[in-house]
Amino acid sequence: MELQKFTYDNRITRNFAVATIVWGVVGMLVGLLVALQIFIPEMNFSLEYTTFGRTRPVHTNAVIFAFVGNAIFTAVYYSMPRLLKTSMYSRLLGKIHFWGWQLIIVAGAITLLMGYTSGKEYAELEWPIDIAITLVWVIFGINMFGTILQRRVSHIYVAIWFYIATWVTVAVLHVVNSIEIPYSLMKSYPVYAGIQDALVQWWYGHNAVAFFLTTPFLGLMYYFVPKAANRPIYSYKLSIVHFWSLIFIYIWAGPHHLLYSSLPDWLQALGTTFSIMLIAPSWGGMINGLLTLRGAWDKVRRDPVLKMFVVGITAYGMATFEGPMMSLKTVNAISHFTDWTVGHVHIGALGWNGMLTFGMLYWLVPRLYNTKLYSVKLANAHFWISTLAIIFYAVPLYIGGITQALMWKEFTPEGYLAYPNFLETVTQLIPMYATRAFGGFLYVVGMLMLVFNVIKTAKQGSLVKVEEAEAPALHPQPAMKTPSESWHGFLERKPIRFLIFATIAILIGGVFEIIPTYLINSNVPIISSVQPYTPLELQGRDIYVREGCYNCHSQMIRPFRSETERYGEYSKAGEFIYDHPFQFGSKRTGPDLAREGVKTGPLYKPNAWHYNHFMDPQKMNEGSIMPKYPWLAEKDIDLKSTAPKIRAMKRLGVPYPDNYEHKANDDLLEQAEGIAQNLREAGIETESTKEIIALIAYMQRLGTDIMKPQVEEEEE
Amino acid sequence: MSTTEDKHHTKQQSQPEIDEVTNDQILEGHEFDGIRELDNQLPPWLKYLFYASIVFAASYLTLVFVFEDDRVIQAKEYQKEMAAYIEEEEAVDEEEQAAPVVRTQEEIMASGEATFSKICSVCHGKFGEGLVGPNFTDEYWIHGGSREDMHNVIVTGVIEKGMISYKNLLSERQIQDVITYIKSLQGSNPPNQKAPEGEKYDPEAEQGTPS
Repeated sequence: MELQKFTYDNRITRNFAVATIVWGVVGMLVGLLVALQIFIPEMNFSLEYTTFGRTRPVHTNAVIFAFVGNAIFTAVYYSMPRLLKTSMYSRLLGKIHFWGWQLIIVAGAITLLMGYTSGKEYAELEWPIDIAITLVWVIFGINMFGTILQRRVSHIYVAIWFYIATWVTVAVLHVVNSIEIPYSLMKSYPVYAGIQDALVQWWYGHNAVAFFLTTPFLGLMYYFVPKAANRPIYSYKLSIVHFWSLIFIYIWAGPHHLLYSSLPDWLQALGTTFSIMLIAPSWGGMINGLLTLRGAWDKVRRDPVLKMFVVGITAYGMATFEGPMMSLKTVNAISHFTDWTVGHVHIGALGWNGMLTFGMLYWLVPRLYNTKLYSVKLANAHFWISTLAIIFYAVPLYIGGITQALMWKEFTPEGYLAYPNFLETVTQLIPMYATRAFGGFLYVVGMLMLVFNVIKTAKQGSLVKVEEAEAPALHPQPAMKTPSESWHGFLERKPIRFLIFATIAILIGGVFEIIPTYLINSNVPIISSVQPYTPLELQGRDIYVREGCYNCHSQMIRPFRSETERYGEYSKAGEFIYDHPFQFGSKRTGPDLAREGVKTGPLYKPNAWHYNHFMDPQKMNEGSIMPKYPWLAEKDIDLKSTAPKIRAMKRLGVPYPDNYEHKANDDLLEQAEGIAQNLREAGIETESTKEIIALIAYMQRLGTDIMKPQVEEEEE
Repeated sequence: MSTTEDKHHTKQQSQPEIDEVTNDQILEGHEFDGIRELDNQLPPWLKYLFYASIVFAASYLTLVFVFEDDRVIQAKEYQKEMAAYIEEEEAVDEEEQAAPVVRTQEEIMASGEATFSKICSVCHGKFGEGLVGPNFTDEYWIHGGSREDMHNVIVTGVIEKGMISYKNLLSERQIQDVITYIKSLQGSNPPNQKAPEGEKYDPEAEQGTPS
């Protein structure tokens, strides 16, 4: 058969690689900043744009979607044409994909710092950017499937299975989790509330880890590890089994982020059990990666690329064992809300994603520039400093997380909390935070070594813009499965059918968990005393979301004696039905706020305390690590937004009276004046229209609804 | 090239190719950009690990869905935890009644100071000099300066001003100890004192002795 000529475009791969490196540096530097901010409050600079609640989402979004995202695209745009013996489907779509994605990243960073956030972790970007992400993702999909359909090999390789699963799942997750009703050009409320919002969000959040940080990187591994080691894949059979079991099971495991929350027990149980069942499918990937290196261990000792792959894959194996363990309720009771979780995710991020990306870049850049790596020694040094960095990063967080959890739970022999003042359990962690920041610093240093090495490599070579290649045309394949063919072999040459099966596999878990939570009322028992927020409280809540308070404060009291003693009655699903978005949080750097407003509760503080505390937390609590929020006393509440907000809430089913949006501001001003008056009595002069008044109103409302009937009974 | 295409993924095997390093069989026709695949089976231990995890999951789900077992239903877990605590507390109370512990003044002061620095100092200052809450080191008291008055404030709180009730957070003994400690602060004259608030309390005028 005649050979057909075609080309591989290396420019697009190079562009994605450069973007990976640039955003990697940016994301990691912001990471270092937040690691310092968490124990040095002065590092927040008392500016709204540089305060932890806003910088931390910039860090997470930058490293996930900018650094890892561009690394995925680098891998896909390099490996896919070569595995399929064809050019990419469209150069133009590739360019739109590249520039569209970079634009989204820049827009994301700017809007997050400006305080435009949906308040849902790892999905913080607001609705216009959500739409842009969808469009670019569709363009990526067209380019990907266009390439697959014009291939010159009959069967698609395992790396491409993972790319397909990644594409379809991320599309589904992003669209479903981002359904929101805009009330202004940049702001919206999610259509889901409370428990349902939490379920959808963690179905998304968990599977962002699965299908953005894991499956595309398994695809990357399946291409670059055998390439760099020049060894065959250990087991084709294993790749089939672990691929399908991984994508089917992963999607169910989201509720493990909500163990011991007010999520129904049956959902929590699914989260736990499917997480446990994930161990073997995850390890299937690790084994196929590591055992592919059999016969190349000698090379591993010398080659920094392979060394990085080994540490990366091992970190994957560790994190995918630890994750299921943390999904056991007994372990989760300790690990949740602590730095343990932060340590865990960074084993995955710094180890698996970071090391695999570095390995890929050290292998790829010399090939793109037709030269050798400028300095293997420097790459080796990068390997060692990164490995050391991971240890310095994670170990203190494990120690700190467990220490803090035990302090939270400890009782005196008399039966009282041993550490009733939350701050005591925080100051204990400061040396750990400092060590962690040092680990982060080492990782950044390693990244800068890579930058230097890559620039030098590129300079000593010259970019091979286009690579010539040739392969025979793909002759027609039988439409049906042939008798001698295995069913999976047949599927591998039917990519659209493959896509459909993968889609079904990833939809089942979500459908099974999300739909009953809506349809069956018993999942969210109604509490009649729970009322919608007043306009002032709603404005305050939106400020709470804007400042990213959920990054450090939870609103979810778990049913443990140690929590009900510290915070008050444990949280019930029915309390959150008007919370668009939910604000359960996932980390307690500060105390839980679910019952902050309960006057008879152990956390109650008067308005004046809140005012002073927002202005200067260290004045109220020496040793507090909370940033100052002086701008809240300067900025006015955006009264013009009240009516559209109430209208949006009404469309979401929140029962405000008819035409309430027209008089909402009257009620708002009246309630605000009451709080301002109360502050004046305590010697604090402030105008009632300031944002801080709204936030205080929200604080004083938190957790009080459930107490109402009891209070009435007592008065009678 | 076309012959490998034909044999791709077919079950018929002729003379399988062997990987020299591992002696494993190479899958015929599986070659993608130079990457080949071996025909190895799944490691048995991994398979059994997977089966075991499925058995675990099935058992756990049965406990939750069918038996609604009180080890896995969180509301029941909480009830159990609280019931166990109440039982324990009663046992401790009985024990204490049977044999009251005699403590030295040092022990009482140390216990009081511990509670003070953990809880009271947040609002009343490290040395009781006053912060949001009033000064403890002068002779003026808003709600009265006797042990009974102080006990009352600690137990019921002064909600409007942000002093919560410590009824459920501190034991009776801890409350008594911290009152003793606070009483000892009077006249210690620390820096940055808050201005006196309330009325002057004269212990001589009342014949109140520690209860």
